[in-house]
Amino acid sequence: MKILVVDDERIVLDSCQKVLEADGFEVYLVPSANKALQAMKKEGFGLLLVDIKMPEHDGMYLMREVKKKWPDIPIIVMSGYPTTNTIEEAVKMQAAAFIAKPFTPDELLEIIRKVIQKEENHESKQSPSD
Amino acid sequence: MFYSTRSKLIASFLVVSFLVGAVSLFIGGQLLYKAVLSEATNRVRLDLNSAREIYLTRIKQLKCPLSITTLGFGFLSALKRHDAPELAIRLRRLAQQAELDFAGIVTKEGTTLCRMGPDSIPKEGIQAPNPIANLALKRRVATSGTVVLSEEFLSAEDPELADRARIQLLPTPRAAPRAEKEELSGMALAAAVPVFDKGDLLGVIYGGILLNRSQTIVDTVRDTVFQQEIYKGRSIGTATIFFKDLRISTNVLTPDGKRAIGTRVSKEVREHVLGKGKKWTDRAFVVSDWYITAYEPIEDIFGERVGMLYVGVLEAKYADMRTKALSVLVLIIVAGMLLAVGLGYILEKKIMSPVHRLIKAGHQVSEGSLTPEIGPISKGEIGVLQNTFQDMVAAMGRRRAAAENRLLQSEKQASVGRLAAGVAHEINNPLTGVLTYTHMLLRRKDIGDDIRSDLQTIVESTERVRKIVKGLLDFSRQTKLDQEPTEVNRLVRSTISVMENQALVKGVSIEFNPGENLPMLTLDRNQFQSMLLNIIINALDATEPGGSIRVSTGVSLSASNAGKKGVEIAIADTGCGIPQEDLDKLFDPFFSTKEVGQGTGLGLSVSFGIVQRHGGTIRVQSEVGRGSTFTIWLPVDERGGEHENIGS
Repeated sequence: MKILVVDDERIVLDSCQKVLEADGFEVYLVPSANKALQAMKKEGFGLLLVDIKMPEHDGMYLMREVKKKWPDIPIIVMSGYPTTNTIEEAVKMQAAAFIAKPFTPDELLEIIRKVIQKEENHESKQSPSD
Repeated sequence: MFYSTRSKLIASFLVVSFLVGAVSLFIGGQLLYKAVLSEATNRVRLDLNSAREIYLTRIKQLKCPLSITTLGFGFLSALKRHDAPELAIRLRRLAQQAELDFAGIVTKEGTTLCRMGPDSIPKEGIQAPNPIANLALKRRVATSGTVVLSEEFLSAEDPELADRARIQLLPTPRAAPRAEKEELSGMALAAAVPVFDKGDLLGVIYGGILLNRSQTIVDTVRDTVFQQEIYKGRSIGTATIFFKDLRISTNVLTPDGKRAIGTRVSKEVREHVLGKGKKWTDRAFVVSDWYITAYEPIEDIFGERVGMLYVGVLEAKYADMRTKALSVLVLIIVAGMLLAVGLGYILEKKIMSPVHRLIKAGHQVSEGSLTPEIGPISKGEIGVLQNTFQDMVAAMGRRRAAAENRLLQSEKQASVGRLAAGVAHEINNPLTGVLTYTHMLLRRKDIGDDIRSDLQTIVESTERVRKIVKGLLDFSRQTKLDQEPTEVNRLVRSTISVMENQALVKGVSIEFNPGENLPMLTLDRNQFQSMLLNIIINALDATEPGGSIRVSTGVSLSASNAGKKGVEIAIADTGCGIPQEDLDKLFDPFFSTKEVGQGTGLGLSVSFGIVQRHGGTIRVQSEVGRGSTFTIWLPVDERGGEHENIGS
């Protein structure tokens, strides 16, 4: 599965890459929302891991754009400053899950597995009706 | 200035004293005048009685010498002989001794035998009627009294007498009009005594005095009744004998100092006294002055009202007495008013000077001073006011200090919050890296136990950093309250039950004394519970095994918020206590007395924030070595809370 990680912090991108690749995911890293949209046009991703606070366009902007064109791709929101407001907003934007930084590899993998599981359940529920 | 207390005080004193003065002046003046007038009137009435006595005595005095004369032997024999010359000599001697103006003898036939005047032995012929002698002849008894004598009679007696009787009528204001210009008749006091010889009437001897222009009676009245009392150069008492309404004998003086003979009485008095025959007592204008007067009619020997007797006292004396009394009264009133002004001034100064100082002190307070000068404390209500003012200023000072404290506290919290947010955000990214890489390293199988142990230490330390940052974030997060109606006792009990095991392990007892009839409160249960937990954990940490923690709830009025109703939750422990110098810093973020690594120093700060956002307060009382009490006060939402309570 291809996962796109969007964060302006190099160390976060590297950390995610290390953890996810070790678990067998195909990981793409971009430092901004615009780069993310460009990458998405080229590749089809199964999951997005998005930081909220970024310079220029923030994670919320990116989520809006993604939901317009690829409404089915699940998005996990990351934040180093999880306020009630940001979480509420993320839920409103139909984020699949929320993870507070800092996190351990196990915590990250657990959330991603949960989201993928949910997506699969969702699809298997939908497929008979197709 | 006009509205100042001083002016008001003085003005009210003035008005009161003026009103009292004016009323007493008016009433006093009236009463005084009436008293004086009635006194004077009574006196004049008595004086008139005395004057009448003198008048009547004079009449009696006429009869007496005449009667004695008739008893003389020489007189009788001369009369029997009709010896006119002899009798005339005797008559003259009699008249001289008895001070008679006229005297004579009439025969039993009614003709004048002789008289004392120049034409002492009248010739035979027509004679003027002699009223007194004729009456005596007719009655055959001695007769005396007032008689009116015609001009003919007077001229016959003595032409000089007729001259004296003739009085010119002077024009008098307010008198009844009279046609004649002169009064020719005279009024006299006369007596006539019949002379008998062995029962046979020989004749009548008569004599009298003419009242016209006579001074004796009126002056005797003045001198004996009024005792020559002089007021302002004038005799105070006057007496007059009127013939009809004409003054014929008087000591009332005209303005130029002559006796007012020829003037007349006012029409009113004439009608009252001469017309109706009544006495008159009143103030009256006599010739040129006001007198208090008394008049009574004079009847002649036939019972006709022919004249009046008058006495009067100068009203000026009584009027002056009244004026004098009134002026003393006025003087007293003026003095009273001056006293009122002075008293008002002094009283105002005494009463108002502390008030003025209070006003000044009020200005000082409004300019920011909390130690205004109010001067010495007075006695009474002003003193109470001064004390109240002082208490008020002290309370203001305390409240201001408390408000400043609160402001400082929330400013501190806000700035720490902003800092925490920034720090947290910046630290969390690198922390993600540290955690990830350490954990990834730990997954490797090719590392030795010593490296694994080191890596484990890195993970633990990083976890600690993560906790601190999380604490910071919790503190800085001004999370919205998710409030719902809550039963305080139930919430407290459930919080305590969370801690019971831990307390049991440590050997500390936890009691709960729930208050009764607590109103429902609208609370964020989660935040509130974490706040309570925080405080109970602190209490547990501070308390040694064997100690106790007592939690109680109850209804209470706020100490700082003017008696607003609320609920109090008190958590008292028997722990180590908090030193005085730490009490102020207790709610500061990052203040902790726990060992490094044991506390973040944010717990109480967060608790304070939670209570504050609920509109409540936290108070701490503590004594080192004996324990601390944290008291949380929460306001009751009067609309919601009470209603819920009744509903449940």
